[in-house]
Amino acid sequence: MQIKINNKKYAAKTGETIFQVCMRNGIKVPTLCGSKDSHEGLCRICVVELVETGRGGKDALKCVSTGKLLTSCNTKVYAGLTIITESENISKARRINLELLWADHAGKCATCKKNQICELQKLAQEYKIENFHFVPRRGEMTNSEEQKLLRDNWSRVVVENENPCISRNSEFCVECRRCINICPEHKFGFNHRAGDVVVGTPYEKVLDCSFCGKCVEVCPVAALTDQNDYAKIVENLNDLKKFSVAIIDLGIEEKIQAQLKNITQEKNVEKILIELGFEKIIKFTEKDENKEDEIIEQIKTDYARKEKIDPKNICTFFVSSKIYKKAQKNKYLDYVLSEREVARLVRDKGKIVAGKVKR
Amino acid sequence: MLNNLKIITEHWGKINPLRIGDYLNVGGYSALGKFVEKMDPQKVLEEVKLSGLTGRGGAGFSTGAKWELVMAQKSKEKYFICNLDESEPGTYKDRMIAENCPQTLLEGIIISALTIGAKKSYIYLNGSYAKAQETLERAIAQAKEHKFLGAKILDSKYSLEIEIFSGAGAYICGEETALINSIEGNRGEPKIRPPYPTEAGLFDKPTVVNNAETIANIPWIIQNGGKKYVKNATKLFVLGGSVKNRGVFEAPIGTTIKKAITELGGGMQKGKEFWFAQVGGASGHLFLKKELNVPMTGSGAILVVDKTANIYDLLLAWTGFFRRESCGKCVPCREGTFRLHEIAERLVDGEIAQRDKEALEDILWTLENTTFCPLGKFAAVAVRDAIDKLGILK
Repeated sequence: MQIKINNKKYAAKTGETIFQVCMRNGIKVPTLCGSKDSHEGLCRICVVELVETGRGGKDALKCVSTGKLLTSCNTKVYAGLTIITESENISKARRINLELLWADHAGKCATCKKNQICELQKLAQEYKIENFHFVPRRGEMTNSEEQKLLRDNWSRVVVENENPCISRNSEFCVECRRCINICPEHKFGFNHRAGDVVVGTPYEKVLDCSFCGKCVEVCPVAALTDQNDYAKIVENLNDLKKFSVAIIDLGIEEKIQAQLKNITQEKNVEKILIELGFEKIIKFTEKDENKEDEIIEQIKTDYARKEKIDPKNICTFFVSSKIYKKAQKNKYLDYVLSEREVARLVRDKGKIVAGKVKR
Repeated sequence: MLNNLKIITEHWGKINPLRIGDYLNVGGYSALGKFVEKMDPQKVLEEVKLSGLTGRGGAGFSTGAKWELVMAQKSKEKYFICNLDESEPGTYKDRMIAENCPQTLLEGIIISALTIGAKKSYIYLNGSYAKAQETLERAIAQAKEHKFLGAKILDSKYSLEIEIFSGAGAYICGEETALINSIEGNRGEPKIRPPYPTEAGLFDKPTVVNNAETIANIPWIIQNGGKKYVKNATKLFVLGGSVKNRGVFEAPIGTTIKKAITELGGGMQKGKEFWFAQVGGASGHLFLKKELNVPMTGSGAILVVDKTANIYDLLLAWTGFFRRESCGKCVPCREGTFRLHEIAERLVDGEIAQRDKEALEDILWTLENTTFCPLGKFAAVAVRDAIDKLGILK
């Protein structure tokens, strides 16, 4: 069948959503709640407008707006569907909904773990969310009345740092449900109702799962992040007395490159790591697959003896996307870094251009 | 004077709702008998379509058309759900049906369910309707004893089970997809349509969800024929506020709001001056005095407000209701209703800023145009009318 998007005809298959057709043809439609497989239609940011084309054949632009907004992510295409992806109404809908979301968001960008890669931040920049009609953020509180409003607003915030692998902070959460949909163990769900809604575990118990890390991967904001003592890591990396060793897991290099796509042109992960302050880099090969722990152990024992370094001054970093390893830290393994944390280190350090850190 | 024919409220107060014998004495279950002996589902559908019966929950979709959609489905398993989750503030007609004459409702459910080919039926009951639950449970047990329910109804080939499913009193669960989600054990929130419940509803099977008042009309239609119903169709009105007589009244469909207030309600209370009427619960439009000459639509609740009322307190109540009852699924409704309530709080204190006025306009627009389900739109209705017609921001 054929559908019309922005006055151009596109082929579409039955069962496809408008969003999928747009993506395939390179038409940009922003979305916050949708990920690759799930399309819930919650954020209402991917809206498109339904139009009726005028009769004048050539005058294609003479389309009559019906004023009806459809969410592109969960509306299936049908023959004769005619839509536009940019209009006054669409921008208005996106702006207001983003403003509403932003008002519910922590908005502590400067210190946020996801600064510069946050999807909400990007959308806010794109749609110029400048007017804050709604509740002021914490830093701007001026009177007790606002404080009262804030208490109401933040009363259900859940911050959890008890589990060793995933750090949760619902202050940042935009309730997009990506984590709920992706979790293979169904650990997350909605708690409470209406404006008090919080994504959390049943009865708000401490998260206890196999820590596959999928939820952290899909979270658009900093509600679910890698658990780590970031300040300590930076301290260790910058400490000249410490000998920092990075053990790179299989397949992590591509992931790091993907994370750094828009941040640096440098492709060589080893070079990037050295710029970050690692002294030695050990790469896993395929034959090491089941010997992770053994190899990590050797660094503070055999290697230290050989190079005559005090094991106390060696700091081992396992660079891997297996975040469940964070729970298995021991005297031989000090830190586990995921690709996102490496990217964060790079972002904080400044732009790395061709091996050099540009501040 | 209004036509006195009563279809639903006929036996109210005259029979003991806890005794099936009383209902049988006034001719109860003869419609079911007629259905079993002389009619088949196709015939019932014809009658219902002829009667022009529409949904009494508010949306007003044709009941016959809905049934036909499900009857056309090939699935062996079908479900019939009676929507008794009435949680619109100021509306309690369905509860009165269940409390005063549960057997009429049951008879209607049985005929409807058998017509569409369902073997299992649910009554989705509002969680706070404890008395209604008791009367319905009694009624079901007694109907079973008399073989109106269970296997081989009245020794025919039909069989049906009715289960009362008590919700938790959430407003959103009155929306049919959310109601279905709730029975399935999921969080009560709406699903995307299509697929419509008539194709894939409860447990992905074709499902009819009808309002209790709609169903209560069915026995009468079966007995007297659809043609007769067209002229005699009635609607339950729930009058509240500053009228003399408050409560549930039955009146012909198409009765104007003015007539309902003056004739059913007996006019304004002594010394009270009419200001406006809200028609259809917290999500209803506001009607000024000059606009009252229109037929009643929606769920049937009329709140009559006199000039001594504080509109800001009312606003706070409306917005508070939606702020509490939004399911939290989509952004505009979850955040919008929250902000609406916040601004209403400031309105009560008389501290509305220019910023709030702009924000109010934005929120109402986004609620009207971008929410996932109609609840978001409902949340904006009364506030919008209060701004346009009552000029609360001036």
